[in-house]
Amino acid sequence: MNSLRIARTALRARPAAIRAPLQRRGYAEAVSDKIKLSLALPHQSVYKSQDVVQVNIPAESGEMGVLANHVPSIEQLKPGLVEVIEESGGSKQFFLSGGFAIVQPNSELSINAVEGFPLEDFSADAVRSQISEAQKIVGGSGSEQDIAEAKIELEVLESLQAALK
Amino acid sequence: MAFAWKASGLTYNKYLSVAARVVRRSLKDDKRLAAERRGEMELRFAKWTNGKQGDMKSVADANAAAAVESASSS
Repeated sequence: MNSLRIARTALRARPAAIRAPLQRRGYAEAVSDKIKLSLALPHQSVYKSQDVVQVNIPAESGEMGVLANHVPSIEQLKPGLVEVIEESGGSKQFFLSGGFAIVQPNSELSINAVEGFPLEDFSADAVRSQISEAQKIVGGSGSEQDIAEAKIELEVLESLQAALK
Repeated sequence: MAFAWKASGLTYNKYLSVAARVVRRSLKDDKRLAAERRGEMELRFAKWTNGKQGDMKSVADANAAAAVESASSS
């Protein structure tokens, strides 16, 4: 009689034991699939630890898209377009003049740059006239430093022109 | 990684400031005027010798001159 009762409780206990692992699996869903973005300029912080879905950045090692739980890394940025895909599904594009992006272990992304503006703030005419000006200096007989600076300008302007198209 | 600006004797700081300057100049007029004010530096310094102040120099000009000198000597 006594042994029968034990067998019955064991039978009753089993379904609970099967259910337990399933509940534990549900825990993973509580982890956020968003990445916290901080986009900071010396004079302004554009994003302040805001949840976003994805950020595409122009690293020196190549274009990369950063999602939540990305491998921690430090990337030097080329002058180029940063695309932020927000929670609402819309995306915003910023042109940064170059800086660093730091992916931290807890799904945080910090981007630092000297200058950065939304793409619609740029004037295609100003870019075009500066390109021809910089090309003149590169081809001219200025000092080595002037030519080096003009080459940097040309690199930035060409990237900007490609982004504006 | 080899960078063209590094080969010509520029520092990363200088590279960033040149890139930022050209980004500011590419803005639409209203934003550009506000932004270009950020690129200006009016820092000045003077060398003191024997308790007397030498002439005031702009840090930006002195930096540019030093960069040209280091580029030509290397």
